[in-house]
Amino acid sequence: MPRIFIFVGLILLLCLLLPPAIIARVRSTPNSNLPIHIIQDMAFQSKYKTQAVNPMFADGNTMRPPVTNAVARGETYLDAHLYDGVIDGQWANVLPSQIKMDFATLRRGQERFNIYCSVCHGISGGGNGIVNQRAMELVANTNGPVNGTVWVQAKNLVHDELVTVQPMGQVFNTITYGIRNMAGYGSQVPTEDRWAIAAYVKALQRSQIAQPSDVPAGTKVADHISPSPATTAVHNVASKGATIPASNSLTNPATSMLEGKL
Amino acid sequence: MSRFLFPRWSNAFLPLVILLGAIAPLYVGLFVAYGFSPKTLEAGYMPTQPVPYSHAVHAGKLGMDCRYCHTSVEKASFAAVPATQTCMNCHTQIHRESPKLEKVRSSYETGMPIEWVKVHKLADYAYFNHSAHVVRGVGCVECHGRIDQMTVVYRVAPLSMGWCLECHRNPTDRIRPPSMVTQMAWDQNKEMTQAQRVELQNLNNIHPNDNCSTCHR
Repeated sequence: MPRIFIFVGLILLLCLLLPPAIIARVRSTPNSNLPIHIIQDMAFQSKYKTQAVNPMFADGNTMRPPVTNAVARGETYLDAHLYDGVIDGQWANVLPSQIKMDFATLRRGQERFNIYCSVCHGISGGGNGIVNQRAMELVANTNGPVNGTVWVQAKNLVHDELVTVQPMGQVFNTITYGIRNMAGYGSQVPTEDRWAIAAYVKALQRSQIAQPSDVPAGTKVADHISPSPATTAVHNVASKGATIPASNSLTNPATSMLEGKL
Repeated sequence: MSRFLFPRWSNAFLPLVILLGAIAPLYVGLFVAYGFSPKTLEAGYMPTQPVPYSHAVHAGKLGMDCRYCHTSVEKASFAAVPATQTCMNCHTQIHRESPKLEKVRSSYETGMPIEWVKVHKLADYAYFNHSAHVVRGVGCVECHGRIDQMTVVYRVAPLSMGWCLECHRNPTDRIRPPSMVTQMAWDQNKEMTQAQRVELQNLNNIHPNDNCSTCHR
């Protein structure tokens, strides 16, 4: 048999290995090639979905902001207590009537606090959240602050008297509109959740001056500490059917007090 | 003109051709099954974003909760890409002169949105709702993978119908306590026993539909 046939045959056989090799590589390595959708059917319809780019508008947004001066039903924001934390020109000391002060509200406040506030103020409110730590590191860099970072230590919400004396309404107002270097969270956190957070901040502060007499007779703190979030979650769903605590809440100083007090 | 005769050595091709003919269907079958699968064609999409934002830093190293930015995920069908304001909550101060944040700053000043590239694009005929899944305890990690370890986000899941149905038909091992949905390192299959997962499923009444109109409306 002429050599050439053997060579060509071998090369063709080797070529058969190429497709599997390419497939294996594509499957194992993320890459920036657009996904290939073989059967199109109606997979890509001529409609605009949420947050899509839209060439019809100057800002390219499909989602339109309300027309200037338009007021949506129920969004008059006239209730100063509910939206600003103010009653008759004074900071409110109580939750607005739309929100009930109960354990579920505080749990919700705790969960939301841990998501939005703890990044700077810390899980316990002490002012040393992870973003605060990182910012301090960047400022303390030996060759000067990295990329022009400036940072003022986040407030200690539970010990700083500037904060602890504030009524709940003022705390709510600060969360909503921001203060000094802190941005307002009015657009990120719904009104009810901001009130829940304000209530939880007050509870956190209260926990720092708790006395043994605050604990109802016969109750031990250990009763409220469970071994794993999984068992707690299952237990909580069973007993309350309500909000389930965040994982780290179990060791939180405020928790045991809340259980007994509110 | 004399007749053409195949040389004697060409007889060796006969068994070879039979062998190839036997293997070919298998080869083509495997090629189509793997090569045309959504896991090959659609998963692993890692587009370059306009701003080199790192989830590994924010969600991983700093441990920020997913919901700090993706605020709508528990209430809406979509997990909103945050407004530029959210970036600037911190970046008016931290790394405020970083060249990497140039587009964020100019978006903040002009009000023009940053054009982030969508990574998880679902076919338009499939109706998926984030809130329905997140509130009931399907962790972010189940579909998005370890986002907290990705410097550049890519698509882990094929987002194909077969892939959706895997979970819709057998959700027990893929659900967790709703309080743990954003905890990416937490794994219900390690932290909970089979019995606990079944209990959780029953308590939260998780019995997903798998009929056509559940997703195709």
